Amino acid sequence: MNRPRLITMLAVLGIAVFVLSLLIGPARIGPVTSIEALIAGGNEAAMIIMREIRLPRALLAVLIGFSLGVAGAALQGLLRNPLAEPGIIGISASASLGAVLLFYTGLAGASLLALPAGALTGAALCVLVLLVISAAQASTITLILAGVALASLAGALTSLVLNLSPNPYASYEIIFWLLGSLKDRTMDHVWLVIPLMVVGWAALWASSRTLDALSLGEEGASGLGANIPRARVLVVCGVALCVGAATAVSGAIGFIGLIVPHLVRPLTNRLPSQLLLPAGLGGAALLTIADIVARTIIPDRELNVGVVTALIGAPFFLWLVIRSRRELF
Amino acid sequence: MKQFGKRIWTGALAAAGLLVSTGSVLSGPSVASLNVCTDQLAMLLAEPGQLKSVSNLARDPTLSSLHEKALQYPVNKGLAEEVLVAKPDLVVTGTFSLHNTTGLLSRLGFAVEEFAYAQSVETIPADIRRMGRLLEQPARAGAMASRFEHDLAELEPLACSRKPVALFYGARGVALGKGTLAHSAMQAAGFTNMAAERGYEGVAAFPLELLVQDPPDLIILPRPTPGAPALADEILSHPVLKKLKATVTGSFSRPASLSCGGPFTMQAIHELRDLAPSLLPCRKASGS
Repeated sequence: MNRPRLITMLAVLGIAVFVLSLLIGPARIGPVTSIEALIAGGNEAAMIIMREIRLPRALLAVLIGFSLGVAGAALQGLLRNPLAEPGIIGISASASLGAVLLFYTGLAGASLLALPAGALTGAALCVLVLLVISAAQASTITLILAGVALASLAGALTSLVLNLSPNPYASYEIIFWLLGSLKDRTMDHVWLVIPLMVVGWAALWASSRTLDALSLGEEGASGLGANIPRARVLVVCGVALCVGAATAVSGAIGFIGLIVPHLVRPLTNRLPSQLLLPAGLGGAALLTIADIVARTIIPDRELNVGVVTALIGAPFFLWLVIRSRRELF
Repeated sequence: MKQFGKRIWTGALAAAGLLVSTGSVLSGPSVASLNVCTDQLAMLLAEPGQLKSVSNLARDPTLSSLHEKALQYPVNKGLAEEVLVAKPDLVVTGTFSLHNTTGLLSRLGFAVEEFAYAQSVETIPADIRRMGRLLEQPARAGAMASRFEHDLAELEPLACSRKPVALFYGARGVALGKGTLAHSAMQAAGFTNMAAERGYEGVAAFPLELLVQDPPDLIILPRPTPGAPALADEILSHPVLKKLKATVTGSFSRPASLSCGGPFTMQAIHELRDLAPSLLPCRKASGS
């Protein structure tokens, strides 16, 4: 499939599910009234529901899905590892841990800025540790196992910090940080993540030419004059910004960055630079669909969207592991 | 049985020792309370020295109306070991809390009395009287229970244009529906509970959208726990709540007055009633 056509298709899909997401909610408002209230105002209750409850939720699904999609594609390119994904290799869990440490201990007051500050730091540290491990040991499986270990350590520490908080609600929030949710987010959260994510996307995009060269192996890339250390720094910063900002407002949402690059890669020429944008658009659409499922699959009850992405993503991961075993060994 | 008799015997010895040492008359059995609701009834009814310890939650201002008074008592964490060391004649606790501890203590021969989690205004006088019998302070309990019954019977219907509609909206976006003490207090005060109206029972997640679509006259929000932030409190500052102009939002002077039933529950009912004229056109009722 040619690239403009793929991008157009994914963008149309994304816009369609974005609109659908806006039309779904416990307050039963007709589609025409909803869109009218969103754009023109009018009915005050409908306007508040659309602009303050549903719009931030739908926007965050798109922004976070896009960020997780591009972060997954860039990581797979840099580590030359088809199983690399922010959730699986512990970056999301470390971002959660960072946010939880800074916020619940009250170190930063009750300021919401504590969440992205902590999450970005946690995500960046995790990527750095993984880079050190992958430099010492190039095997695909070692990196994934190290990432899984980091993910469970960060998850356990997150639970510990929340259990120790004197606030009685904190331990209920373990599930939010481990299996994220987009419930009752506000436009403040949207404004908080947009600048961080845009810088993150730019950093990943700036690294993409070098990632293309890296697909020939490190020596081949150096031979082509690619600046590999610069690309590493860009990917670390970009992934930390994307995953950190996403996790700060939604908790850890897994598998988006795994599923989407694999689904769209066969439709591209397989070069990382050509994959980033389609992976982002696909991620936005997939997370929005998962969030719609989370809200509608059980009447009058809402699942955490992280549960839905894990239910789709974990079997997919298993299938990839089995398939890659066949190819690698 | 034999073991229990022995325990009473040691209890009596201990009481005698105290009698000798302080010279005061200790009336009634010694008691340890393991539940924040029994803590409060016991603190109100026990003689000085009779109540050996209360639960640590009794000092939590968000859960206990008598948190200042609780500072006078030693606190327990609801552990069987603490009871074993303190050797009270009687353990009072709630049916909701610490099932394992309760079973263990009963097997060890302690007298354990469980109180149902207070779920309506109407059961409060009976609970007060029962605690009074257990602590052997029936006169004090009888007076307190009768006063509550009297105050409850005195409540006249609100003289407003219609019944005001209220919603207790808590951290994490939950509402207090049918079967909660808050619901019963709201009814006693002459209010309609929006959550119960819509079929919600107990403590249930209440979608913010429904609150916006059909706002109640009054939304009562809890206060965030000071010094220990949690995301749960974010919902209390959600911009949507500020946009609902028709609705007063606020919390009670004693935030815990509806977490457990007791004489203090009447104060919450009166505070609710006092808010009514600011919500709807109401005629000033005579006598209230």
